[in-house]
Amino acid sequence: MDGFLPYLLIIIPALAAAVSTGTSILYATLGELVMERAGVLNLGVEGMMMVGCLASFLGCYHTGSPWFGLLCGGVAAMGMSAIHGAVCLFFQGSQVVSGLALTLFGVGVANYLGTPYIQQKVVGFASFNVPVLSSIPVLGPIFFQHDAMVYLSFFIPPLLWFLFMRTRYGLALRSTGENPEAVRAAGISPSAVRWSALMLGGFLVGMGGAYLALASMRMWVDNLVSGRGWIAVALVIFAFWRPGRAVFGVYLFTGVTAYLFRVQALGVGIPSSFLNMLPYLMTLAVLFASSLKGRGSGAPADLGNNLKPGS
Amino acid sequence: MSGWRIVSRTEPREWGSVVIFAVAFALSLLICALLLAVQGKDGLGGIGLLLSGGFGHLYSYGETLLKAIPIFLCSLGVALCFRLQVWNIGAEGQYVIGTLGGCWFALSFPGLPVWLMMPGMLASAMLAGGLWAAVAAVLRQRWGMNEIISTLMLNYIGIEILKHLIYGPWKDPAGMNFPVSPYFAESAIIGPVWNPDFWTGIGLSDGIVDTLAQLFGRAHWGILSCLIAGALCSFFLRKGMRGFEITAAGSNAKAARFAGIPYSRLVVLVMFVCGALAGLAGMQETSATLNRLEPHIVVGYGYTAVVVAWLAKLRTMRIAFFAFILAGLRVGVENLQLELQISSSFANTLEGIILITVLAGQFFNDYAIRRKPRQSVPGAGV
Amino acid sequence: MFKKTVFFLLGLMLMCNVAVAAEKEMKLGFVYVSPVGDAGWSYAHDLARQALAEQEGISAFYMESVPEGADSERVILNMARKGYDIIFTTSFGYMDPTIKVAKQFPKTTFLHCSGYKTADNVSNYFGRVYQPRYLTGMVAGKMTKSNQIGYVAAFPIPEVIRGINAFTLGVKAVNPDAQVRVVWTKTWYDPAMEKDAAISLLDIGVDVLAQHQDSPGPQEAAQDKGVYSIGYNTDMSKFAPNAHLVAAVWDWVPFYLDVVKQVREGTWKAGSFWPGLETGAVNISDFGAMVPQDVRDLVNARKQEIIDGKYVVFSGPVKDQNGQVRVEAGKVLSDQELLSMDWFVEGVIGSTK
Repeated sequence: MDGFLPYLLIIIPALAAAVSTGTSILYATLGELVMERAGVLNLGVEGMMMVGCLASFLGCYHTGSPWFGLLCGGVAAMGMSAIHGAVCLFFQGSQVVSGLALTLFGVGVANYLGTPYIQQKVVGFASFNVPVLSSIPVLGPIFFQHDAMVYLSFFIPPLLWFLFMRTRYGLALRSTGENPEAVRAAGISPSAVRWSALMLGGFLVGMGGAYLALASMRMWVDNLVSGRGWIAVALVIFAFWRPGRAVFGVYLFTGVTAYLFRVQALGVGIPSSFLNMLPYLMTLAVLFASSLKGRGSGAPADLGNNLKPGS
Repeated sequence: MSGWRIVSRTEPREWGSVVIFAVAFALSLLICALLLAVQGKDGLGGIGLLLSGGFGHLYSYGETLLKAIPIFLCSLGVALCFRLQVWNIGAEGQYVIGTLGGCWFALSFPGLPVWLMMPGMLASAMLAGGLWAAVAAVLRQRWGMNEIISTLMLNYIGIEILKHLIYGPWKDPAGMNFPVSPYFAESAIIGPVWNPDFWTGIGLSDGIVDTLAQLFGRAHWGILSCLIAGALCSFFLRKGMRGFEITAAGSNAKAARFAGIPYSRLVVLVMFVCGALAGLAGMQETSATLNRLEPHIVVGYGYTAVVVAWLAKLRTMRIAFFAFILAGLRVGVENLQLELQISSSFANTLEGIILITVLAGQFFNDYAIRRKPRQSVPGAGV
Repeated sequence: MFKKTVFFLLGLMLMCNVAVAAEKEMKLGFVYVSPVGDAGWSYAHDLARQALAEQEGISAFYMESVPEGADSERVILNMARKGYDIIFTTSFGYMDPTIKVAKQFPKTTFLHCSGYKTADNVSNYFGRVYQPRYLTGMVAGKMTKSNQIGYVAAFPIPEVIRGINAFTLGVKAVNPDAQVRVVWTKTWYDPAMEKDAAISLLDIGVDVLAQHQDSPGPQEAAQDKGVYSIGYNTDMSKFAPNAHLVAAVWDWVPFYLDVVKQVREGTWKAGSFWPGLETGAVNISDFGAMVPQDVRDLVNARKQEIIDGKYVVFSGPVKDQNGQVRVEAGKVLSDQELLSMDWFVEGVIGSTK
């Protein structure tokens, strides 16, 4: 295995792994992106993913249908989103603390209620090759030899882009993130827009959790999410709140990790703490480079602020 | 609902806020009792175990205090940043890097006498933590980089640096290749407050020393740094010029700039202070409890600090209160876990529920729900 | 008659006393570093705890997910304060806290797993799991067709390195051409990530996967991709019925029962215990159906040799990765050298840094 070639050849399986391991983070990142675009900062992604993960597992476990499980996961995470909405949109609580609390609660409650199901298996989503497309060289193995949830995830970013840029609802959603008072002046309730974004985003985050239980592991074990929710939060900012960049960011992040595993497998003795640091350093570097170019980060202006009640 | 509306309180509640906190707290405990009952455990008994574990014995307080020290210090710094609207969630990384700075000093100069070692070690920890935090501040002010992501990324990087050092150059040659540093010299170990020899030495009777010993338990001299840091913080925020500037700039950065307040320099300053406090917390914890560097010093105090700062509404005394309460709950829930033999994830669940209800409860501090005034009586009931 | 009755009664009372002493309720505490649901290290200890708790006169409690460091000292302290008779602390990071608490509670018995310190009332213990590791290596060496075997490993600490080395020696004993490729995940427990680390090895052409992780992630990968796997900690065949060849497993019950018995009888003495295959504390699981009979016979024969002391796993000549002789022919590694191992044997592809 000497020479340069093996290091090139493993790029294709590494990218394929980036797509499959990235899918759960991708759903979560897009979900968080929707919420933040409407001005709601939700640091509870980790907990929401855990709850979605357990709910999807239970749904599939009891009915045998992965699609029903997926639905359960999404709806359960929507429920978590609703707690965030109640605390922040209704009770005017801090979005940062509510999110952190949601993470604590979600991770805890999912592991707690999941205890009796540990090591139980479910049917889950099996991988299948997409006819024709999977036989394209390079692109085929990277994108078209996965499971249904991966293929589904390819449609979400363009749909979100369309929603944001080409629909009136999208305009209202973006404006609520920038200037809720202006939205109110236009006769739309910013609170209602934020609630809807929380529900939509919550469902997507729940799908991210569901991927881990239904496609990745196809069983229940403790703490399946293991920090992926936090990575999703970071990636939203890395993506400058744009769905397309989010896809790039997710695959870059998981791709680096996947590639480094394969470099290790080839037997390169690079100190691995530096390698482990690389994804975070790269995120910082990319952000820094964009800042140098003088482009703003594009953060929604009203992100993290609560709507004033009664005004 | 149409007959009611939400209005801002012009005056904050005083004692009312205590009642609201107590009600929210009790409510969350009830929810937890229900969750226990779901798995067939004695719910109310469990809550009793929780409270007695955290606050029920003399020795509980020492343990709670010990755990509250790093939370308080980190939270104090985080609160300073939040006052300036700088969303620093990097106390975790600053805690780690500060510890590394302190450990570097303690391991490099083991022969120093205690009066040189202690200040040197702690100053080195504060400097390292402070500089690490200042990186994010400079990135934000100079290049407009979002501090939430930069501090979050710096947390991960800090932890990786710790791992690198402890699995590599700092590994104790006598430690059987386990990831631990050599033990610190005696002069670099922060002792417990209750060291009986010291107290009987200054003439206290055995009975009192014994009680003190139980009460303080493993709590170490780091308490002193909490008192000093807390006092300095609240003094400068009230009386100092910088404190005034921080308050002013926090409420309106643009206006502050017009008023000639050096906003950027202030941001770097508060971030440095926050990092220094977090670094101090980390080094004290490491020196007092583990006596050497181990990878397990990172347990999430930096994130807890964010929660505490918010719950306390950035006020120093309240930070102390909430740090103590949260630490007590974490200590107490272990008692509950052991006695009822339930999954450790219950601890997280409990903390999450308490935070959510207390947070929602704070609504009643700031707002009131009033009946809408009738058209015919303008101004009534406002 | 009267005398007889008195003697009889006295005898009865004495017997009762003895019976009471023998049946003294023993309260055991177990401190785990991870949740018991991890299917790995803590799970193996907890299986033993549950078996012990079913015995007459023993109650056994646990605390899971206890962080190493300052928090663990409080948990151990709490157990000691509550009057537990024996406290088992089952992770390396609990070593110093255990020693500290033991000093304050001289009447309590402490057992620390996987460290090296002892005190008057603290033993340390571990199992020679490298012996079954060696045996599973033999199975892997026989079953591989590509001569590339993958090993998903957690952290480069002596325990893990020792296991990889023993495994590789087992592989080499039956298949000198095979190589063992190591990928570090730097996690003990992240099922999805560990699964991907395993897949990365499959991409390189590995056809048997071994693991030193607490999650069944690598087993899942093997099952999905139709290659063989070697389990660890407990029999993992339920996760990968078509892939699981054999596993190196822990069975703490006999060792723990022995400790309880000795403490109850007052004969317990602190020391370092490192039981091997001969005690049953470590073992190999049942073979998967795909392991042919001749391989089973070969492995079982070697197992018997180890039990009888006729074969020692780390016996020379052993070379390291650079071809340098680390153990001379005719010599064996001391326990001290095993405990602090930080180099790979020849045949391992990977780095210990």
